[in-house]
Parts: sequence; structure tokens; C-alpha cells
Amino acid sequence: MMDENSLNGAQNVGVGQSRVNNAVTGDKIADDASNGNAQTVPQYTIPGILHFIEHEWQRFQAERSQWDTDRAELQSKIAVLLGERKGLQTTHSDLIRRIKMLEYALRQERIKFHRLKFGCDPPTVDLTQSPDEQGLELNADAEYPYSPVTNQMWERGRARLQNYLKEIGWTETIIDVRSKCTRNLLKLGNAEQEENISPNVNGTETNNKRASESQGRDQPAKKSQQQQAMADALLLDTEAAVMSSFAFLEPADVEMDDEDYMGDDMDLVTGSSDSDMKQLKLKTKGVIVNDDDADAEAEEVLNDLNRLAEGEDANMNMVVNNQRINEGSMKRRGVMTGLVGDEEVDSSLGLGELAELTVTNESESTYDVNNSKESYRKTWNAKYTLRSHFDCVRALAFHPKESVLITGSEDHTLKLWNLQKTVPAKKSASLDVEPLYTFRAHNGPVLCLAMSSSGEQCYSGGLDGVINCWNLPNSNIDPYDSYDPEVLKCSLEGHTDAVWRLAVNHTKGNLVSASADGTVKLWSPQSKIPLLNTYSSDTEGIPTSVDFVRDETDKIVVSYKSAVSIIHDVETGKPILKLTPNGMSGATDPTKYINRIISHPTMPIIITAHEDRWIRFYDANDGTLLHAMVAHLDAVTSLAIDVHGLYLLSGSHDCSIRLWNIANKKTCVQEITAHRKKFEESILDVAFHPSKPFIASAGADAIAKVFV
Amino acid sequence: MVMEAQSQQTQQILRRNRPGTSAKEFCQWPDENFEEMDSTLVVQQYIQQLIRKDPSNVEKLLTMPDGQDEGVWKYEHLRQFCMELNGLAVKLQTQCFPATCTQMTATEQWIFLCAAHKTPKECPAIDYTRHTLDGAACLLNSNKYFPSRVSIKESSVLKLGSVCRRVYRIFSHAYFHHRRIFNEFEEQTFLCLRFTHFVTKYNLMSKDNLIVPISDAGEIPGESEA
Ligand SMILES: [Zn+2]
Ligand SMILES: [Zn+2]
Repeated sequence: MMDENSLNGAQNVGVGQSRVNNAVTGDKIADDASNGNAQTVPQYTIPGILHFIEHEWQRFQAERSQWDTDRAELQSKIAVLLGERKGLQTTHSDLIRRIKMLEYALRQERIKFHRLKFGCDPPTVDLTQSPDEQGLELNADAEYPYSPVTNQMWERGRARLQNYLKEIGWTETIIDVRSKCTRNLLKLGNAEQEENISPNVNGTETNNKRASESQGRDQPAKKSQQQQAMADALLLDTEAAVMSSFAFLEPADVEMDDEDYMGDDMDLVTGSSDSDMKQLKLKTKGVIVNDDDADAEAEEVLNDLNRLAEGEDANMNMVVNNQRINEGSMKRRGVMTGLVGDEEVDSSLGLGELAELTVTNESESTYDVNNSKESYRKTWNAKYTLRSHFDCVRALAFHPKESVLITGSEDHTLKLWNLQKTVPAKKSASLDVEPLYTFRAHNGPVLCLAMSSSGEQCYSGGLDGVINCWNLPNSNIDPYDSYDPEVLKCSLEGHTDAVWRLAVNHTKGNLVSASADGTVKLWSPQSKIPLLNTYSSDTEGIPTSVDFVRDETDKIVVSYKSAVSIIHDVETGKPILKLTPNGMSGATDPTKYINRIISHPTMPIIITAHEDRWIRFYDANDGTLLHAMVAHLDAVTSLAIDVHGLYLLSGSHDCSIRLWNIANKKTCVQEITAHRKKFEESILDVAFHPSKPFIASAGADAIAKVFV
Repeated sequence: MVMEAQSQQTQQILRRNRPGTSAKEFCQWPDENFEEMDSTLVVQQYIQQLIRKDPSNVEKLLTMPDGQDEGVWKYEHLRQFCMELNGLAVKLQTQCFPATCTQMTATEQWIFLCAAHKTPKECPAIDYTRHTLDGAACLLNSNKYFPSRVSIKESSVLKLGSVCRRVYRIFSHAYFHHRRIFNEFEEQTFLCLRFTHFVTKYNLMSKDNLIVPISDAGEIPGESEA
């Protein structure tokens, strides 16, 4: 038997990748020129007094300008908040309108149903009533009987709705919607967090403040205008996108007089079906509670929507939590401006983001307006989708110089991807890449990866307890070249259980590994006897993650199952320092389980990612907890820092990756929803390219994504 | 304020392999009913759960849950087969060399040409194995043919047959030329047994091509339907 067609040969059409962005701009550290104090002179001479007075005057001048700066900053803040408030109000009224539309649609359905069932129009309802009028007469309608609405009907309605949603690629939409909705919640949550825990992470804190002050002084008014304009533009965009995505739904069999409203309606539902219904529920509830017009009927609608959202209870709680945080900070904000009454505060909960709903990350359009505060800041967009694994992608490693990424998966393989060899995909926005090489040697899932500093070797650790050292094939290799056994350089054997984390020391080229067998091992992969040392902790249990302390040589930091991390001396293996999360009574706390530990590349800071959704920052010199923040809606699984140490990237089982500005108050500057769930896992690793503007995420959905 | 609700959360079982999990505990969580799984990857989850429980229970493995789309069911099974075949390929790499197995053969009847190249090529057995698995990985993950794992076009489902035929040759080569490896692998995974039943049940390969004898070849479930 002969084979017919070629399977799916590698067609490397077109070498895309033209966009080269400057990844990060260094924070300018403003020089804090201190004004020298007056010298105390024993005898008063006229020149001496003059000098003193002059000096004092200068000091007052400096202080005055400082006050001016502060005032300008506060003024600009007020302007910004006012702008935000206006935006929120717009969204608020828009949402109210949409709720009314929903009610209207529901009523129309009921009428139709009634007509079909009894062959006549229901007695009390005026069919020609426009939706807005309807809204005004809600109270009158409240007595309308609900008996015709049966469960089956809802089942059917739900099925139909799901069909629509599937047709329009709802999962993608929802992912984006959710992504936007959660972003601000978290940002606000963290702002509050910061007040509780000393924000003084490092010396640059004050400097940054100074820098931002001067920025504020430069153009306070302009900024707020800009913001306003942006908010408006976003709203317009939202509308436009909504309309276009629903254009083809018009012939749907819900009878609506006004197609515009139809579009609006469906949007609301789309954004919130299934996985996101709970958000809608919370938000609309917030609106209803404060709306005097709220009535039984509206509540009924919401209850029905809630029923659709059943089965999402677990996530519900999370959202509730964040909502609460949000509430807190919104209130503070209300106080700050002194303008917003209670009503507005509550009703505007989390609605601001809705304006951004359709600025999808997939789209290639160069919206740099995602975060209105830093107009020049880079926004990452999904560009490459790496599909070829059959199961969870557990690990990522970028080549130090080339546009090459290695992925490690539970399907037992590693794959090498050259991002410059792409296949154009259906959507023009993202490009498909096919792997150039598949590394096979592990007997079981591959769990972790590390790249040597030169980029010539790559290391992988597996569930089989083996660490393999690979010679990277040329990044232009033919994917269907003949098998070269030399690619597997050597295997480091010594661990007796799964190897979960590898890290490379870039100055010495040593490798450190953390294994479920209870040990951490230090290797010199190039040596004849590679194993250099073994470390373990009698008290803290199994290591979960490990990294070299970057700003010093000869120290490693290991996180243990007990949620405690220990800095070990590489030579002696002795524990030097213990890092303990706040409020730990010494007993093991499984909720604080550390999924990942990394060291800051330039500063003595250790960062841990926890199962309880927090990211914690420790001082590597004295072990104090510098900062802690709720970073995600679910367990934080992975962390990466860019090579300059300015941005932190985190991945979570909440399906999103988040980018944090480390230097500037650890605010979340971008949130991207990137992967779907398999069981209760979603994102398993994130990475920064050491020299090119790429970030990547690895998912339990067997896909890796690269953002530019 | 946040902590209270969260401690309640952790009460429920979270099906996660956290770093530090031992190989023994990996994926060893309680079973979940198919109906209760709510991710977009339910079928894969369900199949893997069954395999973990008992890889030899072929009948259970190939019993499709009610209301499941058959195309997706077949597709996810084939993904799982190709994934597990990586294990056999790893073993073959240690014994199957281009010098000794210059061509992809099973019995002497056929020489198989490797379809991964622009023009089919007479690749050595180990290259054939790797190329075929790599090609299958690309095809089964292709955005063009399989953009979704929830619903699959009929025309794409038709592609599954040719993937089956090609990957089956890896079994047959191992069986006829590297019997020790084959037996060792089959004892652990029952992969060839499962695969044979699978392609028979869903009529993805003709019976004449199924040349590796399997233990209970007499009674293949679903044969009559096929
Ligand atoms: Zn061979
Ligand atoms: Zn070939």
C-alpha cells in the first residue's frame, strides 16, 4: 500500500514578524537634589545673615514649588476621577437601558407564547408599547402572571441562546469580556491592599513618586481631556463592534420592533452567558438595588438569568470577593472627590470596564488606549498561536537571542518553535506556527524547562524524575529531517521522583532542580560528574519551586510545601534565611501553597506565587514581607520578570495572565485572558523573552501563545 | 474579608497537579461524572480519566457518553492515541536505527513511504515513526481542519482514517521488528489493543490492514455496527 497525499507538510509561507517594539522603558529616577541646610555660624555677620536669609528663602521657594506640584497632581486626579465618573454614569444608564430591553424582549416572548398556547393575545399588554415607555410603566406590569414560563421553556431558550453564541464564536468573546471586566477590579483591589502593607519595597519608591509628580505638573488638564476623549471613543467602539457582531443575528426569531435594541440586548447576554453570567448578575443587581424603578419583574428577569448561571458557584464567590474589594475602594474614591453620592458609588461598581469590552486582545488594531494613564505604554497583543501539543503545556523557555521558543508538555514531548516561520492563519490577527523539532526522550509528562545562557542547550525535567540536556537544533532545521540522536546530549539522573522546576545560573552555568523526592540538586551539566550538591529541609517538606538568588552568587531560594521559602547557601547547603507569609502560625497552611518562586534579576527581592491567589514580595536580605497583593481570581501558578526587572508577568488558573509594573506601585498594567481550562487548571507557565519583545503563556488547553 | 470565602473554596476538590506533586499522586483525583465536567475539553478529560482507571477496559473506554458528538469523540481518542504513541517512539529510538531498519516495514509485503514530505519518501523506520507522529500532531492541531475541539466538520472527520492507517504502522513495525519493546509497552498501556478496537468499532481502517494479532481478537465490540 502506498501513501497518497502528504500529511500536512510544513509550509513555511511568508516570514512575518515585523513588529519590533521597545519592550520597556526604564523608569527615570529623578534626582532628589537635597537642599543643603544652613550652616550654623557662631558670630552673626551681615553677609552671614544675608546668606542665611537667602538660603531660607530658597528653601521656602523649593517647598512652595513642591506644594504647587502636589496641588497640580491632586487637581489632575480630580479631573481624572470626574472623567471616570462621567464615563461610569454613561455606562450605567446604558446598562439600565439594556436591562429594560431584556425585560421587553422577555415580555414579547411571553406574549408570543401566550398567543401560541391560547390563540389570543394576553389581555393586559399593549403590543405597540416602545421599550422605553415600557420601562416607565414597570410597576404597573409587576402583577402580570408568570405561570406560562415553564422550566422547559427556559431550557429551550438556553439551548437556543447557546447555539447563537457558539455561532458567533462566543467563547472567544467571553474570554475577552471577562478579561476586561476583571482587570480593573484587581487593580482597585491592589490599591487598597497597598495601604495595609508597607509599600516601601525599595529605595526607588519615593523617586518614582517624584517622577510622577512632575509628570502630573506638566499636563494635568490635557491628561483629563485625553482620558475623556478616550472613554468616549471606547464607548463608540463598543457600540460599533457590538452592532457588527450582531448584524447577522437580526433574523433571529425573537420578534423585536427595533433592531437597534435587539443588538444591544444580545450583547448583554453574550457578554455574560454561562461563564460570565455571574458578573452580569452582580452588576445588574448593584444597579437594581439602587434604582428606585426596580420592581418585581426586573428581579424576575434577573432570577432567570441567574438560573442560567448555575453551576458557576465556585467562581461566583471569587467575584463576590473582588466586588467587595472594589466596593471598598470605590467608596474611598467617592470620599476623595467629595462629589459622588452613595447611589452613584454603588451603581458604578465595575461598570467602567464595560466600555472597553470589545477592545479585544486578538485584534491587531493598535489601540494603545487600554490604559489611559500611560499613553506611551506598550500593549501586548496575541500574535502567535502554538498548537501541536496533545496535552497541557507545562513549561516555556525562550532562546536568549533568537525568536525561538521551546515548550514542554504532558504529551511527553518538547517542541521547538521558530516564530519567524509562520503559517498564515484564518484570522489575520494571529499567526499559526508549526513546530520545527520535537524532542522525545521523557517517559511521561515534561514538567519544566530551562535554557542555558548561550542558548545552545536546553534542559527539561519530567514526571519520570529525569533531567535531559538537549543540544538545540538549528532554528532553520527542516521539521522532517532525519533523526539525530546527538540532540539528546545527556541525562542527569539522581532524582527519584518528578522534577518540577529548573533554574540556570547565568554566570556559572550551573543548573538547580527541585523534585518531589524532597530534594533540590545542584548540577554542573558540562562536567563528567554533574551532580554538585543536594539540599533538603527536614522541617518544611517537599520543595515546590527553586531559583537562584540573582543579585548574589552562591545562594538559592527554595519554596516548600509548608508555604515557607528558604534561602540556602549553595556551598554549605545551610539555610540562611526563612521567608514566611504574614499571619502564619508556624503550622503548614495549604491554602498558601507556593506554586512558583522567582528572584528579581537586579534587586534583592524574592517573589512567590501562591495557590491562595496572592503574590508576595520578600526582602532577600532580611526576609521581611515587603508587599503582598491579591493578584488573580484563582491560584497564581507562574511568574516571570523581564530582564530589566521592571515588569512582572503572572499566570493563573483564572485563565488570565497579568502584567504588573514592579517599580510603580505594582499596578496591573495589562490583563489578557489566554487559555481555557482542563479540569481545574488553566495557565501553567509564563515567560519573557530575554532580548526581544515577546511574552508567552502556556496552557492546560495544549496551546502556547506568544504576545508581541 | 477575602480570606473567609476563600477557605470555603478550598474545601472542594481541585483537580490540579501542583508543583511538588509526586509521580504517584499525579492526576490521582476522584473521578468526575462526564455530565458534571464543564470545560471545553470534557471529552479529553473523560477519556484520560477512564484510561487512568483501567487502560485494559477497552469496552468502557470506547463507550461514548449519551449525547456526545461522535466526530469529537473519535478525534479526541485519536489525539490520545498519538500522544501515547510518543511513549513507544521514545522506546524505539533506543533500538530502531537507520542502519538496521532502513525502511518502514512490518511484514515483507509492503514498504511504507513517509507522507510527511512534499514527495513521499522512503524514510528509515525511526524517521517514519517520528515524521508520522509529528505530522499527525500538526494535522490534528491544524487550525484549518480542527479549529475547535467542541464541534468538528464532517470533512475533517474523514481525515482521521488516514492518520489511523499511518500511525498503525508504528505498532506493526514495533511488533514485527522490536518485539521486546512492543510487548513491554503493550503490557503497560494496552495501546495497540485499544487502538485496534477503536479503528474497528468506528470503521476507520479495513480489517486486512490490522496485522498485529491482539489477545482477544475474536470478539471485538461494535464490530457488527461497523
Ligand atoms: Zn526498527
Ligand atoms: Zn519522513
